[in-house]
Amino acid sequence: MSRTRPNFLAGFGSLVWLLVVGLPLYVMLVATFQSRPDYAANGPLALPGRFTLDNYLDVLDSGFAQYFLNTLVVTVCVVGIVLLLVPPLAYTIVRSRGRATGTVFRLFLLGLAIPSQAVIVPMFFVISEAGLYDSLIGVILPTAAFAMPVSTLILSGVMRDITPDLYEAMTVDGASPRRVFFQLVLPLSRSGLSTIVVFSALQAWNGFLFPLVLTQSAETKVITLGLYEFQTEHGVDTPGLLAAVVLSMLPILLVYLFARRSLVQGLMGVGGK
Amino acid sequence: MRQRARFSRTVVVGAAALALVLPLSGCGADSGAAADDTIRVLVYGDAANKVEKEIVATFNKTSKVKAVLDTIPGADYQAKLQTIINSKQAPDVFFNWGGGSIKPFVDADLLLPLDPFIEEDPALKEKFLPSVFNSAVVDGASYGVPMRGTQPVLLFHNGKVLKKAGVEPPETWDDLLAAVMALKSDGVTPIALGGGDRWPTLMWFEYLYDRIAGPELFEKALAGDREVWASPDSREALGKIRELVDAGAFGTNYDSVKFTDQGSATLLATGKAAFELMGSWEYSTQQDAHPEFAENDLGYSAFPSVEGGKGDQANIVGNTNNFYSVLKRTKHPEAAAEFLKLMYSDQFVKAQLGIGNLPTTTNTEEFLDTAASPEFATFQYDLVKEAPAFQLSWDQAYPQSAATSMYQALQQFFNGSLDEDAFIAAMQALPTP
Amino acid sequence: MTRTATPAGPARPGFLWAVPAAVFFGLFAVVPLVMVAVLSFAHWDGLSGPEFAGLDNWRTLLDDPVMLKSLWLSVLLTALGVLVQTPLSILLGVWAAGHQRNRAVLSAVYFVPMLLSIAAVSVLWRAVLDPNLGVPAHAAWLFGDGNLFGSQATAIGVLVFVSTWQFTPLHTLIYQGAARAIPQVLYQAAQIDGAGTVRQFFHITLPQLRNALITSVILMVVGGLTTFDTVLILTQGGPGSDTTISAFYMYQKAFKSFDYGAASAVALLLVLVSTVISLVVVRLSGYDKMRSTMEGL
Repeated sequence: MSRTRPNFLAGFGSLVWLLVVGLPLYVMLVATFQSRPDYAANGPLALPGRFTLDNYLDVLDSGFAQYFLNTLVVTVCVVGIVLLLVPPLAYTIVRSRGRATGTVFRLFLLGLAIPSQAVIVPMFFVISEAGLYDSLIGVILPTAAFAMPVSTLILSGVMRDITPDLYEAMTVDGASPRRVFFQLVLPLSRSGLSTIVVFSALQAWNGFLFPLVLTQSAETKVITLGLYEFQTEHGVDTPGLLAAVVLSMLPILLVYLFARRSLVQGLMGVGGK
Repeated sequence: MRQRARFSRTVVVGAAALALVLPLSGCGADSGAAADDTIRVLVYGDAANKVEKEIVATFNKTSKVKAVLDTIPGADYQAKLQTIINSKQAPDVFFNWGGGSIKPFVDADLLLPLDPFIEEDPALKEKFLPSVFNSAVVDGASYGVPMRGTQPVLLFHNGKVLKKAGVEPPETWDDLLAAVMALKSDGVTPIALGGGDRWPTLMWFEYLYDRIAGPELFEKALAGDREVWASPDSREALGKIRELVDAGAFGTNYDSVKFTDQGSATLLATGKAAFELMGSWEYSTQQDAHPEFAENDLGYSAFPSVEGGKGDQANIVGNTNNFYSVLKRTKHPEAAAEFLKLMYSDQFVKAQLGIGNLPTTTNTEEFLDTAASPEFATFQYDLVKEAPAFQLSWDQAYPQSAATSMYQALQQFFNGSLDEDAFIAAMQALPTP
Repeated sequence: MTRTATPAGPARPGFLWAVPAAVFFGLFAVVPLVMVAVLSFAHWDGLSGPEFAGLDNWRTLLDDPVMLKSLWLSVLLTALGVLVQTPLSILLGVWAAGHQRNRAVLSAVYFVPMLLSIAAVSVLWRAVLDPNLGVPAHAAWLFGDGNLFGSQATAIGVLVFVSTWQFTPLHTLIYQGAARAIPQVLYQAAQIDGAGTVRQFFHITLPQLRNALITSVILMVVGGLTTFDTVLILTQGGPGSDTTISAFYMYQKAFKSFDYGAASAVALLLVLVSTVISLVVVRLSGYDKMRSTMEGL
């Protein structure tokens, strides 16, 4: 790293950004450990006051554990569906010369431009007619469908980087497309796979509109909705609300702490090379 | 052989993924199917659900058909209700606000007229205050039985702040203006307003139109007479609102404050503001969030009169009541009728009073001293009983399709981005029932 | 999935491989989209069956000032998002690509907003920016009376800022990954030529980040046009209709006014606008040509 001398301007800029990122996080953490009256009296910028865990206990009491579980189930299933469906698709897009494949690829490119909000009205009636209203599966299916375009784009980008001579070598051996897929394509697109896992997981984790419209009961509530409702109910308290926000990030924080490298690598992979 | 092993591993992984998905689809499907011998009761989800749960339990003790309680939390209730009411997921009995909130369902022939039930058990009607019962009568037929309580809008205040500024709760509009000036020079925001929620702003319009033009103006508007919005009375009411806003009564940042996240209520409780015009639930909100303030300094009064206005000072606005209505397609109308009868039972009335609601049954008066705060309950009950007119909130009287545009017009007139004529035009453009 | 390979050419997967994904996507994205198109020509409140309405919804919409405003707001929010986030995340990304220890530590902190869902971030900022209970009450020099949600300019400013706060980490990572992949030889050569840091940045780093830029901008555009949770939680489209972007307007039409026909027309218009913008971005960036370059065997 000979080219980087200490760069004071960059250093200053990075500290400003640290403040922008850190300040709200500080406000959030400090607020959650104060009682409601203390928070109202001290204001958001005060130093930590009398310590209490009540806010967290209250939030857990109000059913957030169930919401976590639901979000987790939705996330795992969405990732599962994307992993089952997208790799073969991307493989076809990259390798097939059929005209139909080109059409499918363009369809998915178009899919990028379909905001999930746009189809929410018919989606409600499709899911409702299928008897899936207010069930997690009714949230999982459309969420997975809308995670597919980006995943397809990312994965086919990675698969394109597999050099033709590798395919040649396998074909000389008389390998079938299936063998090529499992022995060559999948192992070589591991980075892309982890990227789409991270990406579709984030999409499911963030899911808001589909659960908002397609579920109603506490048994099927996901965290994002739990937060929204916590905020809109009459008589909501800021420390409690922020405690819920903190709790909502814990699962991802755990993933981040234990699998930081692959999470970060996965997200870096979005940009391709 | 190595290849074979690898392939079977992917099969295993795939199967595992499927195994994960399939049971889910199983658990997803069963929640949609309701058993045949139940009625599903759908209510607005909030703290009051405690009482609804008790009532359902009482009902299930004796009934062969069991009631199942479903709740949808606050903000989304109306939206959810309308999306599911004509689908397989529709409830049998549901919570509503009467009036405009059920009119579209009546028009779509989805609701069961309750008159046959009332013929069988006249108490279903007679046990309730008539003015309240009638707000769920649509086209001459009864569609709702009152439940929960009435929620008039009152002018709440912080007694300590008023005292310090030497101000009394206002009796007249001029009192209010004088109080605003005194409070301003005392350095507090005279009136807290959760303008970010929009419906608190609406309350000011409702009362001023009532006091100046009388309840008739709005009734005419609702009946389709658009000209009334351009009448001199209407313009006078708008002028008064302008006067109050321009006097700085609400401070400058009311559009960033909300009631629903406790912003405005906290302003009142912490003494940063002196008044708040709010539904009667302000009281329980304050008890919950600022118990000390609710105990010592929270005061309330009726909305002031306006000199020369046509409206009676005893008129009130707000949520007349909540109602239960029954869907036509229910398989168990008799069970639903039995369930509705619990709404005038002593048990129900006492339980509602206990959580701070004010039911409007004829036997409420007997139990007022068992209320969570007897003094406040009595004040409200007298107010409602003696009110010559009780105007249902505009956003509930108008069809749902009008609400968004109405809120926008109210907010924009209030903050000055719409002038009088533009506001009148916006109100005239609203669809009426 | 039959063996189609001949000794003459490489084995290529048949179309069957794409069928499961295509069917799934078709069922849950394309079919509803077609239904949206059909519904946009109907009157429907969800209570009594849809009625054919001809061009009614479209005629009303094109006369509706809020509709046009909402499209403009969607585009404006998206454009502002791209303009603010792109330079910021390029600078941060290139900076973070260095391997110094302090940079690694700070990058870890910068990443935290990524861990929060959009709903959580919106809820957090709503609390932080409350004029009386939040930071503005204690920093009047910066926020004045704190009426951030009371005027269009400040409300839009908040929306852009909040999405920048949340999504800059993602885009920073994209650029960081791309910057690390730039061959060091290029910089060494430039140093021999006597080029300074600034020149290196503009002549080597930026051109090398082109693909990352394209991906990042596409993601921002898609994200910007589909912004919904942020508006619902932070501004509810207000003050008035001043932050009612199309996606939110559609939601209001559908689930507040129960005019599913009009909502569908808004939705279709939104899809059209997104498609046009995506096509322009794809064309300008040459994303669509990637197919031919890689198919050169």
